[in-house]
Amino acid sequence: MSAETQTTRRIRVFRYKRGDDEHRYDEFDVPVSERSTALDALRWIQLRQDPTLALRHSCFHASCGTCGVRVNGREGLGCVTALSDVSGDTVTIEPLANLPVLNDVVSDVTPFMERFPEPHPYIRKSEFISEADTPDDVDAYGRFEDCIECGICLSACPVAATDDTYFGPAALAYAQRMLEEARGADREALLDWADSEHGAWRCHASFECTEACPSDVRPAQRIMLLRKELGNRKKEVSS
Amino acid sequence: MSARSAPARVLIVGGGGTGGALAHDLALRGVRVTLVERGELTSGTTGRHHGLLHSGGRYAVNDQESAIECIEENRILRTIAPGSFEENDGLFVAVTDEDMEYLPAFLEGCAATGIPAQQLTPEETLRLEPNLNPELKAAVRVPDATMDAMRMPLRFFATAKKNGAEILNYVDVTGLIVQQGTVTGAAVRDLVTGREARIDADIVVNATGPWSEQVAQMAGVDVPIQPSPGVMLAVRGRLCNMVMNRLHKSGDGDIIVPQRALSVVGTSSWKVEDPDDLSVPEDHVRRMIEEGSKLIPAVRQATFRAAWSAARPLIGTKEEADSGRELSRTFKTIDHAVEDAIEGFVTITGGKGTTLRGMAEVCADVVCTKLGIEEACRTRETVLLPHDAAFTGRAVA
Amino acid sequence: MSVRRGADPGTEGIRSARDDVGPIPRKNVGPVAWFDIRKRGLGQFAFSLNRLTGLGLVFYLYLHLAVLSTLFRGQEAWDDFLGIATTKAFLLLDVLLVFGLLAHGLNGLRLALIGSGRGIDHQKALYRSCQVIGTILLLGAALHILGGD
Repeated sequence: MSAETQTTRRIRVFRYKRGDDEHRYDEFDVPVSERSTALDALRWIQLRQDPTLALRHSCFHASCGTCGVRVNGREGLGCVTALSDVSGDTVTIEPLANLPVLNDVVSDVTPFMERFPEPHPYIRKSEFISEADTPDDVDAYGRFEDCIECGICLSACPVAATDDTYFGPAALAYAQRMLEEARGADREALLDWADSEHGAWRCHASFECTEACPSDVRPAQRIMLLRKELGNRKKEVSS
Repeated sequence: MSARSAPARVLIVGGGGTGGALAHDLALRGVRVTLVERGELTSGTTGRHHGLLHSGGRYAVNDQESAIECIEENRILRTIAPGSFEENDGLFVAVTDEDMEYLPAFLEGCAATGIPAQQLTPEETLRLEPNLNPELKAAVRVPDATMDAMRMPLRFFATAKKNGAEILNYVDVTGLIVQQGTVTGAAVRDLVTGREARIDADIVVNATGPWSEQVAQMAGVDVPIQPSPGVMLAVRGRLCNMVMNRLHKSGDGDIIVPQRALSVVGTSSWKVEDPDDLSVPEDHVRRMIEEGSKLIPAVRQATFRAAWSAARPLIGTKEEADSGRELSRTFKTIDHAVEDAIEGFVTITGGKGTTLRGMAEVCADVVCTKLGIEEACRTRETVLLPHDAAFTGRAVA
Repeated sequence: MSVRRGADPGTEGIRSARDDVGPIPRKNVGPVAWFDIRKRGLGQFAFSLNRLTGLGLVFYLYLHLAVLSTLFRGQEAWDDFLGIATTKAFLLLDVLLVFGLLAHGLNGLRLALIGSGRGIDHQKALYRSCQVIGTILLLGAALHILGGD
C-alpha cells in the first residue's frame, strides 16, 4: 500500500470461524490511498488490527482467481476492486455466495472445483496477435484459458442461489471450450455430461455470470452455444 | 531404516512452491509430512511472480550457478508438469547500442551454461513479435516459458496429498517448541476455527521464503535472508506471446510476461525489514511503464489492471548488498544442527520459482539423511497430478 | 539425531474441528432470491420479471378457470360475473394481464432465440427491443380496453 495516505474508509468485514453459531460483522477504519483495493484494506486490517482475520489471495493481478469476495453486494476480485470505485460511507466485504464459508471472507472452493468435468486441460491456442509468425518448430503459440476458476460466476448466478446441484456457469463454459478445441477430449462424453437437468438446461439466461466474470469468459453465451450443440445432436439422432 | 514401522514425521512451515515441492519429494520417500501455511497456498512470494519459467538467460553472464540450475529445472518441469506451461519461448531483445555490447557476453554465457540460444535479425524478430520496438537491433531466442505462478506449484501439493501428505492451509505458526536444544514441534493457531494447537515433528523445515528469518528466530537462530521486494505492473492486452527480456544487465522493468489477456511488466528492487509490509512506490510503477515501453511501445497506452509488490528471499546479510539485486539468486539448505547446534530444524531458502523442485531435492536429501532414511529422490520422473486435485483431494490421516 | 517414531503430530484435532461446516452465504434465502435485482444487470431483471409474470399468469389461469366454472351455475351467475367484469377496476386488471402476457411472451421469444445460440452477444439489445415493442403493444391494448367498447 502506498505511503501517500489520503483518507480513511470504514470497512465492515464478515467474520465467521467454523464452530461458531453465527457470523458477525467487524468494523475498521482503514487508511486508504487513491490506488487502494479491497484486498489492500483487508491486508491492512490483518497486519495492523486483527491477525486472526483469514484472507485468500495469491497473485495480486486478477490471474489466480483466489481473492473473490462480495464488496457491497457485488462479487469481484478483491485485488482489482479499487475502493475509489466503491460508493457509500461503509464498504461491506463478504465471502462469495453459494459456496460454504471456510473462515471469515474465504470460501471453500472445493465444491466449486468438483463441478468441473475431468480432465480439463488448461492450455489452448493463442488467438492473440494473429499476424505473427511462429518459430519453425512451433505450430502455434499457446496460452492459458481465460477462466481463472474464481467462483464469481457461481456467486452471481440466481439459479445456483437456490439449487446446489446445478453444475454452474464455469463448469459448463469449460465443457463448451473443450468442444471448441478438443485437445484430446471425448466430445460425446462431454455433451452427455452437459445434457442434464442440472447442466446446460438448468440455466435461465440471467447473464449475471457474464456480467460478473473478471476474465472475459462469457459463460452465459457459452452455455447457450452448448445448448445449440445439444439441439443439433438431437436433430441428428432423430433424422 | 525403511518407513514400514511408524514413519518419521516432518513438519514443513510454509506453503509456497518450495514447501509444496518438498512435501511432494518427502511423501514419495515415505516420510510422514504435515505442511502448514498461514494463508492460501502460494500466497507468499510464489503466487505473486510474473510466471516466468526461466531459461536462465538472465543469469547467464553474472550468476552462472543460478543459470545452470534454471535451465536444468526448466527441462525437468516441462516433463513432470506437462500442460502447465505456455511453451512459446522467450526473446532477449537489444534496443540500444549499449545493449548490443552485452550481446557477445550473453551468447558466451548461454553457451557456457548450456542454454540453447539462437540469434535473430530484427526482421525475423518482428515477424515473430510484431508489437516489439521497431528500432530493435537484435534478439536472441531462448527456452523461456510462461507458467501460472499459482497453478503450477499447486500440482506438487496435489500429488503430495495423494501420496499421504497432510496439507493444512490457514494454520499459522505462533512459535516453535524447543526442548533441550531440539526443535520438537510448533505451536499453531488454526484460522479456520480460531483454536490453538501443537504439532509434533521429528524435524521442522522452515520453507517460508522472505519470512525465513522471522521463523528461524522462533528457534533462537538467525538465517541470512534479506527480503527484497520488487514492483510489478499488469496492463490489459496480451502484447506478446513469447516472454520479452531486455538484453542487458539486470535492471528495472526489463521483462514482460504475457498472462492470459494481460501483460506483466517487471520488476524493481529494494530492501525491507518486514516482508508483510510492502508498499507499491509510484515511481517504481512509472519506471515499469518507461522501461517496458522501450521493449513494447504499446505498454505506454495500455490500460492499467494492477500493481503490486513481492518480496524475493535473497540469501545474504544486510551488509552484503546495496539494492539487493547483486545478491545471488541461488538457494541454500541450512541444517541448524551443524550451523547453530539446534537439532531437528532445517531451513531451505533463497531460490526462484523455477527451481522449486531442485531446491526440494537438496533439502529432502538433508532431511532424510538426518532421519536415517535411505530413499532416493523420485521427483525428476514423477508426473504431477493436475492442479485442481489440490482442492478436490482430501488430506489423508 | 534420534527419531521419535510413532508420535502423533497432533493434527487430528485441527481436522475434526474443521468438519463443523457452517451455513452457506446466500444473497437471500429461497425463492426471494429470484426477485432480488439490486446491483444486478438487465439480464437479471428479465429473469426476475419472467418469474414474477410466470407466477402471475399461472395464478390468472386458475382464476380464469374458476370464473368460467360459474357457467355451470347458470345464466344468472354468469351475468353477475359480467357485471363485475366490465367495471373500470376490473378492466385495469385486464391491462395488467396484457402486460404480463407481453412481458412473458416477448421475453420468451428472446430466450428461445438465445437458448438456441442465436444473438447471444446481443441479449441486452434484444431485451430493450422487447421492452419497446411491448410498451407500444401495451399502450395500444390499454387504449382499446379502457377507451371504448
